[in-house]
Amino acid sequence: MSRALPVLTVLAGIVAIWYAAAVWMNAKWVYDQAERAGQQVTWAEVIPQTMNQTRPLLPPSHQVGAELWKGLFGQAVTSKRSLVYHGYVTFKGTMTGFGLGIIVGVLLAMAIVRFRVMDQSVMPWAIISQTIPIVALAPMIITLSSQLGISGRDVPKAIIAAYLSFFPVLVSMVKGLRAPDQMQLDLLKTYSASQTETFLKLRLPASMPYFFASLKVAVAASLVGTIVGELPTGAIEGLGARMLIGSQFGEPLIMWAALFAAAILAGLLIVTVGLVERLARRRMGVPA
Amino acid sequence: MSALWIAVAVWLGAWALNVWLAGQPLSRRGFGRALVPLIFGATVLVLWEGLVRGLGVAPVILPAPSAIAAKISTSMPVLWQDFAQTILRGAIPGFLIGCGAAFLTAIAIDRSPFLQRGLLPIGNFVAALPIVGLAPILVMWFGFDWQSKAAVVVVMVFFPMLVNIVAGLQASERMQRDLMATWGASYWQSLIKLRLPAAMPFVFNGLKIASTLALIGAIVAEFFGSPIYGMGFRISTEVGRLGLDMVWAEIAVAALAGSAFYGLIALIERWVTFWHPSQRH
Amino acid sequence: MKRLITAAFLAAAASGASAEDVKLQLKWVTQAQFAGYYVAKDKGFYEEEGLNVTILPGGPDIAPTQVIAGGGADVVVEWMPAALAAREKGLPLVNIAQPFKSSGMMLTCLKETGIKEPKDFADKTLGVWFFGNEYPFLSWMSQLGFKTDGSPGGVTVLKQGFNVDPLLQKQAACISTMTYNEYWQVIDAGISPDDLVTFKYEDQGVATLEDGLYVLEDRLADPAFQETMVKFVRASMKGWKYAEENPDEAAMIVLENDQTGAQTEAHQKRMMGEVAKLTAGSNGALDPADYERTVATLLAGGSDPVISKAPEGAWTHMITDKALAN
Repeated sequence: MSRALPVLTVLAGIVAIWYAAAVWMNAKWVYDQAERAGQQVTWAEVIPQTMNQTRPLLPPSHQVGAELWKGLFGQAVTSKRSLVYHGYVTFKGTMTGFGLGIIVGVLLAMAIVRFRVMDQSVMPWAIISQTIPIVALAPMIITLSSQLGISGRDVPKAIIAAYLSFFPVLVSMVKGLRAPDQMQLDLLKTYSASQTETFLKLRLPASMPYFFASLKVAVAASLVGTIVGELPTGAIEGLGARMLIGSQFGEPLIMWAALFAAAILAGLLIVTVGLVERLARRRMGVPA
Repeated sequence: MSALWIAVAVWLGAWALNVWLAGQPLSRRGFGRALVPLIFGATVLVLWEGLVRGLGVAPVILPAPSAIAAKISTSMPVLWQDFAQTILRGAIPGFLIGCGAAFLTAIAIDRSPFLQRGLLPIGNFVAALPIVGLAPILVMWFGFDWQSKAAVVVVMVFFPMLVNIVAGLQASERMQRDLMATWGASYWQSLIKLRLPAAMPFVFNGLKIASTLALIGAIVAEFFGSPIYGMGFRISTEVGRLGLDMVWAEIAVAALAGSAFYGLIALIERWVTFWHPSQRH
Repeated sequence: MKRLITAAFLAAAASGASAEDVKLQLKWVTQAQFAGYYVAKDKGFYEEEGLNVTILPGGPDIAPTQVIAGGGADVVVEWMPAALAAREKGLPLVNIAQPFKSSGMMLTCLKETGIKEPKDFADKTLGVWFFGNEYPFLSWMSQLGFKTDGSPGGVTVLKQGFNVDPLLQKQAACISTMTYNEYWQVIDAGISPDDLVTFKYEDQGVATLEDGLYVLEDRLADPAFQETMVKFVRASMKGWKYAEENPDEAAMIVLENDQTGAQTEAHQKRMMGEVAKLTAGSNGALDPADYERTVATLLAGGSDPVISKAPEGAWTHMITDKALAN
């Protein structure tokens, strides 16, 4: 309870600000409409009218909540109108990108730790790669992958997601694989352990806490990548596509509901990864 | 095909050179440290050029680096105008306002553990959200010019910064704080002399994350409405016109600007947090 | 690694679609603007011709011209200005059919801004779509003698996003709308038609041809591909005529195919009704007079013209002649 109370207080504050902002922002439209119709409106008349517009500037929370509820539970989860379905599409893309990102990140980290030349040539470019805004590359990735004979949009989407998620894994793994100190390395040398043995028995286990710590960041990055991939590149399925269609057809409620659905998905993903991390730490004997 | 094989040969040669260089003591400091990645970058470009030429890839699919370089040299004024609009007017003000606001918020809630306990989980959660999705909404609110781009950047950088600063302010050790107390230091003295410096590694970590987010935010926001200049505008229109050389020129500028921004922050970090173990060499 | 990429490139170049598989890339997201193709697929018109058609929806970042250049589609729906611009950039697109007779593009202005006729645009902010759709606008402005760089006496151009918000938020005096889509969103938003002034490109004499079917010139030399396209155009036009006659059913078919599930019945039914007005009067064959007018409009495109010279061989009746013969 002592943990929930502050969070709930802040949340209540946010909702209050939200409602106030909704009244303030949506009121202009009511005044404009009244002016066009040649009428006068008073404040008491304005407020209720700001609560239920079809295309509000800022929909009040109950409107978003209702739309979200309708999207999540209003129909069968297999329906194309269900946010569960679109969330699943986005989830699939996120997981593919996340998996790809982990593989690339771990392999690169291994190569970087093992070979000095990789460290010096690739590491600076890995950092630079993250400063290139992925959205600029997204259309290029799509054309190039279709040129390579990959049809469909799942693969480019996953590549975009992986592009964002491999980096945290890479950085943490490099740190983790280098975590064993000289004493430990020397000890293995006295056992006349080979490079591979040192890697498997010392470096890899030592890197695990770092690995799991990076996963939370990576999964969030992967979700952002997936949504960015869905947003401008062939609005077909997924939460990003719904945001785009909502924007295009002037249905702000659809857009807000998709945004909150994405937030829920992000929350679920992070909590799940957190659980996996805690389980793994417990199994490895690290106090959680 | 010969262009392709030449490119492959150059690649292999340069890689061998890099392997040799990496083993030399020269490569551990100064110019040598930059040499290896530069050679690597150059070989990637050569390979790219060779692939495009050797396989006859159409310029509307993937232009060769030489074509992109030619485009950059002939369209400097346009590139500068786009850079000024997106980076100087959109990303940087947004970055400063967002980071500044996060800093002030962190200080404001520093004395209230209650607010911290309430805001931190929410901040952590929001920092992981795909805030990019807000871009169309903010463009609707703040108009099509740079204000909306800066607004997107503010929202994107605020929460990662807030979380890092709050975590940083708790980074000083109990012993150190007690020591300040025994010296009779006031809240503000202790904040400025101990806790803020101790928070700096976290702050710079946040700034680095925010610097890449700022660029992404400013460019994405331009997809949803903009004046007729700006990097996001140029990218999205030139794709439609099949001016792919221009698109890649903008990507190159973005990469350059992003790296410079990041490098600048890393440089300041080294200067400010010289005492931290990660800066020792 | 390198060999892998090479192999993949070669494979992509060699494969191509098998004879009767057709991939159609749309210009925009699934909506009634493309009803004819969805109807033809849904009603089995393509199947009757022995075609297996895949319809690929577009999006803000997808340029059909680039998709076809990359081999991602066999035939694309594109507007003529963009297709001709691509042709001049070295991508030889050929118009094989033109289901849209008239242009649906217009500028919609708020009456309260005082705009009554085109000359009132001076010093106003106008919303325009880019991504290849800006050419007719630029050429119109240059004919009116307005500069588009925001200098005094000219017009300020704003790149409009995908909706009508700039008009509703009064960030622009006028915005680009299509008769079948965005105009109605303005109306839906609660602004009555009396508060609006519209300028149709068609009425201003600067209309350019919209949704047409384009293929790559070199593939058209292949008799087998020609045959496939004849079947495709025949079935597509059958789909269009069916959609014109049964707009409500066509709209529902589009809705069924919308994978985002975010489109509404009301929007799509109305869009279908408006689209039918634009496709009416076209049997699929391009009218050379319309083509000439489009080229003339584009060549007049001011300081930065879309195309610098009249293109040659940018259209053919070869396919439609055969497709419409029986």
